[in-house]
Amino acid sequence: MLTKKLQPVQSFLSLVSRSVGHFPRQHYDVIVVGGGHAGTEAAAAAARLGAETLLITQKIHTIGALSCNPSLGGVGKGHLVREVDALDGLCGRAGDWAGISFSILNRRKGPAVWGPRAQLDRQRYREFMQSELLSTPRLTVMEGSVEELLVTDPNPEQPGQHRVNGICLANSSHPISASSVVLTTGTFLSGSLFIGQTTSPGGRIGDAPSSAGLSHTLRERLGLKVGRLRTGTPPRIVKDSVDLSLATLNPPDSSPTPFSFMNTHTRCRPEEQLPCYLTYTTPGVERVVRESLHLNCHIQQDAKGPRYCPSIESRVLRFPGRRHQVWLEPEGLTSDLLYPQGLSMTMPPDVQLRLIREIPPLHKAEIHMPGYGVQYDFVCPTQLSPSLQVKSTQGLFLAGQINGTTGYEEAAAQGLWAGVNAGRRALSKPPVALSRTESYIGVLIDDLVSRGVTEPYRMFTSRAEFRTSLRPDNADLRLTLKGFELGCVSSSRHQKAVRVKNSLQDALAALQALSLSTTSWKRKIPDVHVSEANSNMLSGIEMLQYKDVSFQVLASIFPEVLLPFMEFSQRLKIEAVYRPHCESNKREIQRIQEEENMSLPEDIDYLSLPVSLSQEVREVLHRARPSTLGAATRLEGITPAAVVNLFNYVCFAEKRKKTSHGNQRRQKEGREEELCASLPQ
Amino acid sequence: ILVIKCCLFQGGLADADTIFALSSGYGRCGVAVVRVSGPASATALRSMAGHRLPPPRTALLRSITDPLSGEMLDRGLVLWFPAPHSFTGEDSVEFHIHGGPAVITAVLQALGSVPGTRPAEAGEFTRRAFQAGKLDLTEVEGLGDLIHAETEAQRRQALRQMSGELGHIYRDWSHKLKRCLAHIEAFIDFSEDELIEDGVLDQADRSVCDLQSQIEQHLRDERRGERLRSGVHVVIAGATNAGKSSLLNTLCQRPAAIVSPIAGTTRDIVETAVDIGGFPVLLSDTAGLRESADLVEQEGVRRARERVQQADLTLLVVDSTCLPSDVQRAAGFLSEHLRNMCLLVLNKSDLLPETQRQKLKMELRGVSGLPAVCLLSCQTNEGLKDFLTVLQSSVKTLCGDPLAGAPTLTQARHRAHLQQCVAALSQFQRYRDSDLALAAEGVRLALTSLGRITGRVGAEEILDIIFKDFCIGK
Repeated sequence: MLTKKLQPVQSFLSLVSRSVGHFPRQHYDVIVVGGGHAGTEAAAAAARLGAETLLITQKIHTIGALSCNPSLGGVGKGHLVREVDALDGLCGRAGDWAGISFSILNRRKGPAVWGPRAQLDRQRYREFMQSELLSTPRLTVMEGSVEELLVTDPNPEQPGQHRVNGICLANSSHPISASSVVLTTGTFLSGSLFIGQTTSPGGRIGDAPSSAGLSHTLRERLGLKVGRLRTGTPPRIVKDSVDLSLATLNPPDSSPTPFSFMNTHTRCRPEEQLPCYLTYTTPGVERVVRESLHLNCHIQQDAKGPRYCPSIESRVLRFPGRRHQVWLEPEGLTSDLLYPQGLSMTMPPDVQLRLIREIPPLHKAEIHMPGYGVQYDFVCPTQLSPSLQVKSTQGLFLAGQINGTTGYEEAAAQGLWAGVNAGRRALSKPPVALSRTESYIGVLIDDLVSRGVTEPYRMFTSRAEFRTSLRPDNADLRLTLKGFELGCVSSSRHQKAVRVKNSLQDALAALQALSLSTTSWKRKIPDVHVSEANSNMLSGIEMLQYKDVSFQVLASIFPEVLLPFMEFSQRLKIEAVYRPHCESNKREIQRIQEEENMSLPEDIDYLSLPVSLSQEVREVLHRARPSTLGAATRLEGITPAAVVNLFNYVCFAEKRKKTSHGNQRRQKEGREEELCASLPQ
Repeated sequence: ILVIKCCLFQGGLADADTIFALSSGYGRCGVAVVRVSGPASATALRSMAGHRLPPPRTALLRSITDPLSGEMLDRGLVLWFPAPHSFTGEDSVEFHIHGGPAVITAVLQALGSVPGTRPAEAGEFTRRAFQAGKLDLTEVEGLGDLIHAETEAQRRQALRQMSGELGHIYRDWSHKLKRCLAHIEAFIDFSEDELIEDGVLDQADRSVCDLQSQIEQHLRDERRGERLRSGVHVVIAGATNAGKSSLLNTLCQRPAAIVSPIAGTTRDIVETAVDIGGFPVLLSDTAGLRESADLVEQEGVRRARERVQQADLTLLVVDSTCLPSDVQRAAGFLSEHLRNMCLLVLNKSDLLPETQRQKLKMELRGVSGLPAVCLLSCQTNEGLKDFLTVLQSSVKTLCGDPLAGAPTLTQARHRAHLQQCVAALSQFQRYRDSDLALAAEGVRLALTSLGRITGRVGAEEILDIIFKDFCIGK
């Protein structure tokens, strides 16, 4: 996969720019607004599904830009990358193409929480994304700025008060219509940039601000509740000006592990990888922060920033008198810049320079571009359904930072899922949801739509209840087959996943069949302490659960049975160890899935529902409008009695509907019989 | 590995939990019905009431035993309802047992020890019946109200318990466990990028260890449950010829002990089981306490003293005609030997003139350090009613009052959850060094089990602790 040549981007650019003046179509199935991590995945997914898709972005050459840190994955985030890849998304393969330093975080803490992560070459990542998008069938990429959404009356047969059926571009009188519109505007929705005491409109330095019209439409026309969040990015530092001998070298894994299930190796060769460096803040840093607080607008604002990725200012203010970690990360194979992870800051540029020079390896450092803060609008995500469509507005989907999340991976995951559902809507298929019992994407979306956000939302493994089942190693088994049914997975990936699934099943069956007494096992593997207390038979799977027994060891004892499965040795070891825990998760997962399968009609009027519910419960349900019974049970203030009453209502409402249909049919048949009877014989 | 195999076995066998609960009302009743529903019902029936399953839907009289200890708990009717012909549509079992709280609690606790079973949540039987399509619309409409009533009752019950000492203990555990989990989660989610001090995990190790032993200790120490199973131990003690054996016979309403005017008639311990106010009581009559040259009587006195030490409640019988000098001896005896609950019984009141009876009552009530005093006559039964009231309330206090919301039943539920909690904590220990994710899973399970008593703990709450305790920001 990685040996393929990227399509020459330049020729596509000319092709597209030609189409900008007099674009061939006035209608698309899906329009995606924004070319960031959410937008690229959304557009690609919709196109894979078979929808004619248009991606509109301000500048084609910023598609796939890494606005902040030059890295992908990590603990929890790596899970998302693997899942996006399992659904045939782009970011995993892009990471394998652009990665220049790979490591599996949490290597010693158990495979369920391993965090695949890579430092990226910014240039290569953009190249891959642009090439991939510009060569995707059914996908058109266009430069432009969206001025307005086309809002019309809703389709009365579906729930919702409005319908979006297209967009209007700035500087163009021609609207473009579409069945679905996906907004992935990132930090550009009413975005403002902060450095020191200056503020300017925009979502990223160097890019034009998005139009105020869009924000206005969402708020005023569609009546969506909007909040404000903030984030920031550190200054970029000239590599040559840094004394790396004063920092601790942190080498990558000696053998890089690819993100994608489709790749056996990464583009970057192991020996080509670049290391990261670790250093620490000093008391001088704290002093500079305190002295410059009055010059720092961003930090004085009360928009909510993330607790886990705070600026150096908030870190120092919240935990004074401590030293804080600063990672110096490469920006690319040939880049002459370093990215100081942990030094996001918004003070005036001259103070930024003073601050970083308080850190020993940076005592002579030069700043290439200062850090800055961004404040932006987000749409409260409780107004979305699990398909990421706005509940009140047919055809409008939101993904990424506009939903209050932070992080490339979180954006990519939502983008992919919004793209799938936008495509399905255009193809007249019902919306689909991922359960929190089957994926981190499901956890992410369920958290967003059922709880909302109070600060930028980031994925952690601690958010997943079924962490031992939702592992990075088995994302393909969990999602690829399902994705294929939905149409967002290519047949080559599907075939591979089926082969893997069958091989793993065969291998586990073979292991299960290897049943020997403890004494025989002891004779065969003398180094391993097989518990004496267990006098009965032990299967190969049970042996594999022992810490020091690897699949390789078993394969060397039973080569004829096990050698064919050597390529899966690591996955088999993990499967064996986690199996009992996943089994015990199963019941709970089943219960939750049953409840989630019971959907609550979107147009249900909780305030007047003829069901015994307290006023308090009615109001909670009215506000949150859970889409399933499962989501309702997770709401605060919902009593078990209320759940049962809702459950009854839903079941009997369905039954009543069915019987009334049945009655009508019977009546009709009856009339026909009468008719027949009255005919002359 | 053994545990893992058990899990596999259960996982393969059971799709859903097997639930059990007392289906008849709380409090004193002639017959109590305990219902079990789910795939492990047959296992429960076999392990508690004989290995052969009775024919379907036929009542059979069986001995009901504890599956772990083999101890007989009761004799009662058992019924076996194989799926789908049962109330819930699942395999079900009913135990019709004697209605005392001791028996009920014992049977519920025994059921809790059968693998794959757990106490039912409010309304769960009805809900299962509904899901299996066993209820019609009118029945179902009442279900919400029923569950509402049950959860209300549980809530009130929980509130009562939570404001007490027990609640304090549970909350403290829950708090410790939350912090412990938060620190482990912080180590998992952030330690690769952030400064999470190495000591964090060691601290978690210590907390888990402490909690585990505290909860185990608590489960062992819970004398109340045992009292209910084997009855409250009430020991009758006192000087020779005070009328101890007469009191025993009066209480059990039969001549269980030999009564004679000769001092030292009772030499060994005479035990008899009686029902006092619906509670099982094991009543022991002991040899009169006096110095004796008789070896047999010496041994009797030694046993009497030993029994008094182990008693839940001592009835100190004094011959009221021997007062006042006897009061001094009684007081001395008290301070010397009795640390447990004690009632002072002044027997032979019929031999006292009316004026002295009144005087005695008044005087003794004022003496500090003396327990409750009852004046009665085993001969004429005078004062017996008052004595029984006092005795009953003491026994009730020792067992918990089922009419006040059935704490014994809640207790059985708590016990089951605490046992799960301890088991889950041992999973942490087992995986601590090999797989922190699986170890953390143990702490999560422990917190879920404890959360069933103290309230659910969500991921956000854990994250709040993480961000409060650690400076995380890359």
